[in-house]
Amino acid sequence: MTRAAVLLLTALATAPAWVWNPYHLHTLIMAGIFAVLALSLNLLLGYAGQLSLGHAAFFGIGAYATALLTLRLGWSPWLGLLAAIALPGLAGYAVGRIALKLRGAYFVLLTISFAGVVSLVSVNWMDLTNGPLGLPGIPPLEIAVPGLPPLPLRTKGAYYYVVLVVAAVSYLVCRRLIQSRIGRALVALRENETLAESVGIDGTFYLVLAAVISAAMAGAAGGLYAHYTRFVSPEVFLFTYTVTMVIMVVAGGKGTLAGPIVGAIIFTVLPEVLRAVTSWQWQMLLYGIVLVATLLFMPRGIVPALRDRFRLT
Amino acid sequence: MARMRTLTAAILLAFLASPGLGQQPEPVKIGVIQPLSGPVAASGNYVRMGAEIARDWINARGGVLGRPVQLLIEDNKSDPKEAATAAEKLIVRDKVPVIMGAWGSSMTLAVMPKLEEYGVPMVVETSSAASITKRGNPWVFRISPPSEMEALGLEKYLKDLGIKKADFLAVNTDWGRGAVTAFGDLLKRSGAGVGAAEFMDQAATDMSAQLTKIRADNGDTLFLTTSVEQITLVLKQAQEQRVARKIITTGGSSSPTQLIKQAGGAAEGTYHILFFLPWFPEAMPDGKLAKAFVDEWNKRGFPFEGLTEGFRGHDGILTAAEAVKLAGKPDPKAVREALWKVSLMGVNGPIKFEKDGPAGKESGQSKPSIFIVQIKDGKIALPAFAAKK
Amino acid sequence: MEALLQHLLNGLLLGGTYALLGIGLTLVFGLMNVVNFAHGEFYTLGAYATFAALAAASVHFFLAIPLAIVIGALAGAACDRVLLRPLRGESIDTTMLVMIGLWIAMQNAELLVWGGVAKSVPTPFSTQPVVLGPLSVSPLRIFVFGVSALLILGAHLVLSRTKLGRAMRATFQDRETAALMGVSIDRIHMVTFAFGAGLAAAAGALLGPVFLVYPSMGDLAALKAFSVVILGGLGNFVGAALGGLVLGVAEELGAGYISSGYRDAVGFVMIVAMLVFRPSGLFARAERVG
Repeated sequence: MTRAAVLLLTALATAPAWVWNPYHLHTLIMAGIFAVLALSLNLLLGYAGQLSLGHAAFFGIGAYATALLTLRLGWSPWLGLLAAIALPGLAGYAVGRIALKLRGAYFVLLTISFAGVVSLVSVNWMDLTNGPLGLPGIPPLEIAVPGLPPLPLRTKGAYYYVVLVVAAVSYLVCRRLIQSRIGRALVALRENETLAESVGIDGTFYLVLAAVISAAMAGAAGGLYAHYTRFVSPEVFLFTYTVTMVIMVVAGGKGTLAGPIVGAIIFTVLPEVLRAVTSWQWQMLLYGIVLVATLLFMPRGIVPALRDRFRLT
Repeated sequence: MARMRTLTAAILLAFLASPGLGQQPEPVKIGVIQPLSGPVAASGNYVRMGAEIARDWINARGGVLGRPVQLLIEDNKSDPKEAATAAEKLIVRDKVPVIMGAWGSSMTLAVMPKLEEYGVPMVVETSSAASITKRGNPWVFRISPPSEMEALGLEKYLKDLGIKKADFLAVNTDWGRGAVTAFGDLLKRSGAGVGAAEFMDQAATDMSAQLTKIRADNGDTLFLTTSVEQITLVLKQAQEQRVARKIITTGGSSSPTQLIKQAGGAAEGTYHILFFLPWFPEAMPDGKLAKAFVDEWNKRGFPFEGLTEGFRGHDGILTAAEAVKLAGKPDPKAVREALWKVSLMGVNGPIKFEKDGPAGKESGQSKPSIFIVQIKDGKIALPAFAAKK
Repeated sequence: MEALLQHLLNGLLLGGTYALLGIGLTLVFGLMNVVNFAHGEFYTLGAYATFAALAAASVHFFLAIPLAIVIGALAGAACDRVLLRPLRGESIDTTMLVMIGLWIAMQNAELLVWGGVAKSVPTPFSTQPVVLGPLSVSPLRIFVFGVSALLILGAHLVLSRTKLGRAMRATFQDRETAALMGVSIDRIHMVTFAFGAGLAAAAGALLGPVFLVYPSMGDLAALKAFSVVILGGLGNFVGAALGGLVLGVAEELGAGYISSGYRDAVGFVMIVAMLVFRPSGLFARAERVG
């Protein structure tokens, strides 16, 4: 591993110690959650080559799953998190089987429609989701040591570590996947599907597998989000979340492992930096301009551009 | 932009100031979180404008505790996540002792855990969901009425309005749904019939389907709850669909002046529940204050139609500043204690908080004045049954 | 029965507007393969241009609309020249992301310039509805429907009958060969994008007066436009027009007889059904999409 990577990792691992401003720590936690989201989207977009614009749906399903199970049925938040991984995974399987018969723009629109339907259900199915009023008061994660009463994780530092661990696990899962046969099959499918299928790679099987893992990961991010912000409402299905994810992956560098993480950190920190230095009228306008400029100068993404410039491995 | 100017000014002052001359006292900061972009950007901006008037008036009178009031304004983009992040930034980075916000009920609900986490009070100026003051969050103080209170405010006019069967058309948010429930219950209690309840997406522009359904339902009254843009569209489309019946808008966001301008004849005869009467400021509990507010608003060239919402910003900041004064210092916990002692006259009327919610963790809820107006002959009029004696 | 007829009429009129939204996008998305998320912003630009022309320059209503179209087309041309040409060889995701950035920037610029308060555009039409038996419809909507039909027809004729149209279709079928035949690829790209943007601006100029003009008006419109494009088949002009009508009627009936809250779900469900069972669109010949 390069020196730069080691330095970055040490900094991240010890963050709560030297990031003394809770607002900055909050930003890092949100960056971590989005990193998991970006990694999940990158699996489909960067490696399998399929642009899913409905990923906010899996994020939202995960958030709602754990919220409803912990609030209505009194489940432990950790079990809720597991459900937040499993349920979107199932949804990913269902959507994958239907959607992955299509390619290109058709796939994109199908995923948008799926997200749209899920969003409308969350707003209108009042009995299940409480509709637009949302689900406030979601219990925080807690550490249960046998013999002692459960210790709720209320400090930001504790949450930061949970998010960091999940992000690290997601990264490792992605890395193992990419370096395995599955990863190679996905890349083969992305580069030339007809050729790949002609040598016996079952396109549908591998793509659906990627969809399931990707959805499950997005759901995990949703579960973390629910227990951190402790309030879930239909706004989690807003298209802006999907757009943000896509920005992070593509601007960060799709098809790379570090790209989504770098993208997540930069594009979570950027709006906050803009919020601090400009007034609210200019914040998003400048954000849009920065985004466009980034893409004009680094069309393949930040990480690939940096790699070329500095010849990092 | 403003920060650069402040920085430059500060450097200049440092150079020019000679020892012995007084320094600028550090301002008392009040956080403001509003939807300044997105579908309800107009309303959020009106509240902001009212807040700015309050700030300038307070500062003209010498400020709070001898220090000027400074508003730190954040845009929540109608997204609960943004609202929570904005609150975090205001509390942690800017160290505000009190916040006003966050307009929509979902946004306010998303900010509430932060208030409890850091121990900072918030004055809620617009949100109407009942749960806001019933959740046992002692850092919440609301000056706007929940839907149930609003419905109660209409009760005394029910006979005069002569409603036998009413239909509902509301925006598909907590506000719209809450209003449908609250007014529906009110009507059922008084023996009137409740017909169809239709909803529209916040961003929807075509409500012809809902209106065709309502027309077929044959009620005599339509309760309409949404923001002024959608009300304009509904009124115009109701005219197109020939849905001829009494229309009552609720929620106070109907801005009748804007309706007359944009919906024209389609707005004729409609009733509006409001919390401020900028056309008859003398009819408000403090007529002089109300008139002064209207005059100042016009002087600044703000759109007249924004007054029906702008006053919320004024009353919110007035309340927050008064609490800081009573607390004696800009400390969040002291300000919270002081909010319970606040008793003042805002543009809407008297502001005084009563306990609301589970014992031991009550939130504060004030009882605002509620009014009803009608658009007659292209002008706003106080209906005969509602005119002040 | 009366209600059903009114629903159908509402649906057709609404569908006409969806059709107008869709045809501009089917060119850019279908022919140029650019996922144009800024389509809604050209729509909004058209609406604001009409408003500004009427309010600031007191231009006559019937002149303001062509003016708005021209402004939209010019903006589209500029956009292609500045943003899309440098990224010509890049993947579809990169161009899509640039369009997203443009979308964010344009919408916030509109917010900055005109503020968040919705503007209404005065029209010379009466607000009293035209009554046809049990049905009623506003004169403005009839006008909008009529002009939309003319624009759709006109655009179709340009694409299918003129030399320019042929060049456009050739470029997007096979770029190299078209270049060999003497077609200036860069210019065709610019013209196509401008065409799409101009049609979007036309939709905005016509619909601004029907509804209201505000910065986020394009978001929902863009989503409907994508639905229409899929229904009609990518790049299929006539398909998009018919698809718009189908979507309008389906939404209206769904909102009227199923549930108004789920109104927008109708469009989504139709897309899903379409893509599963007949992905090339209702009106295209079957083609491989997977």
